[in-house]
Amino acid sequence: MAQSNLDLVALKKVGMIQQKQKDFFALRLHAVGGDFTAEQLRKIAEVSEKYGRGQIHVSTRQGMEIHFVHFSQLEKARLELEEAGIAMGACGPRVRIVVACPGESTCRWGIIDTKKIARYLDQAYFRQDTPHKFKMGVTGCPHNCAKATENDLGVMGGILPGWKRENCTGCDLCVSSCPVGAIAQVDGEYRLDESKCIYCSICTSNCPTDAWYPAKKGYILWIGGTMGKVPRLGTKLKKLIDSEDELYETIEKVIRYYQQHGRKRERFGHMIERLGEDKVKEDLLDGSGDQKKP
Amino acid sequence: MGQEIKKSLDLHGVVCPLNFVKTKLALETLNSGEWLEVILDEGDAMLNVPRSLKEEGHRIVKVTPLGQTYSVIVEKGA
Ligand code: HEM
Ligand code: SF4
Ligand code: SF4
Ligand code: SF4
Repeated sequence: MAQSNLDLVALKKVGMIQQKQKDFFALRLHAVGGDFTAEQLRKIAEVSEKYGRGQIHVSTRQGMEIHFVHFSQLEKARLELEEAGIAMGACGPRVRIVVACPGESTCRWGIIDTKKIARYLDQAYFRQDTPHKFKMGVTGCPHNCAKATENDLGVMGGILPGWKRENCTGCDLCVSSCPVGAIAQVDGEYRLDESKCIYCSICTSNCPTDAWYPAKKGYILWIGGTMGKVPRLGTKLKKLIDSEDELYETIEKVIRYYQQHGRKRERFGHMIERLGEDKVKEDLLDGSGDQKKP
Repeated sequence: MGQEIKKSLDLHGVVCPLNFVKTKLALETLNSGEWLEVILDEGDAMLNVPRSLKEEGHRIVKVTPLGQTYSVIVEKGA
């Protein structure tokens, strides 16, 4: 049968995965931050009924897969989806679809525009070849709903709190509600220990008189997170990054660094373990913001 | 402290969002400017109830840790 002529590796590149029922494939679809329009969902449903068995699977990373598409129908199904503006996803050793939480557009805790960043990352890197799979996640704040720390690269929104003495009434709420005990009161002064602070904005949101205020808004970059057989949580690359340009420059460095130094089928986090966290941080931050400070 | 506490409410063991709802109902029986004391659990309760109170225009006056709970004094807003 014609099936033996199928180039499985090429198919994987565009998100078509052979099922254990070898004549059938799962069509993995492209998505950014798990957003689809009603119209797209109708089209996906239609294609799944026409070329598959009407069975759609929602992946653990906000993607959609149409299951049980016979190999003879693959091209037709793909064309029909693409005509409706639904691109194919990716699998194999390359950059996968970008996940994101709702972020500042709808969530009351959101600090950054997660969807905008996810779209940027998608346009800049989706489907690029990497030593092993490469996953990115964007989460609006340190509540970390989109699990930035379990992605190879995670972007998280954060704020650095500042304190205005003249507003403070000394209620002690901040000392009691900071989840990591980063605020202490000394002689009527409330002080932040930045080395403990996780930039979560709970103090600035809760303070009854806005004595704590967001002195700086920015991004926390996590690298080398992975689940799988040998899980590892991401490493925080540096303190709060406050410019979008610097964020994107740093991400560019990170991905090129992995492409250069990663061994074949070695996840980024495992590469970091092999080279040593300190060495990787040093290489990546060389000449950037953190280093300029005295 | 400046004022007497008009009412006290022990919300130890009461989960979100019920703890906030009960706090709100208790505040409704007070006049604006009067104080209510609520006992809240550490963790989620302390992260969410004070913020919701702020959003509703009330003001936290004093927070005192009591082991695994906190005493939170709230001044009813206008
Ligand atoms: C008021 C505070 C919170 C709000 C408004 C909130 C909101 C959300 C939203 C909107 C999502 C869906 C994100 C998406 O799928 O795109 C989500 C997911 C999630 N949240 Fe929260 N969240 C809050 C607090 C928390 C806290 C405190 C935790 C952990 C202790 C938490 C853990 C999670 C996790 C693990 C998920 C992912 C669930 C999944 O696997 O689909 N959230 N949250
Ligand atoms: S991570 Fe923050 S911004 Fe994103 S959904 Fe969770 S609470 Fe909202
Ligand atoms: S929560 Fe605000 S008003 Fe209360 S002690 Fe902290 S800084 Fe002062
Ligand atoms: S931002 Fe979060 S971690 Fe930092 S001091 Fe405020 S409450 Fe604590």
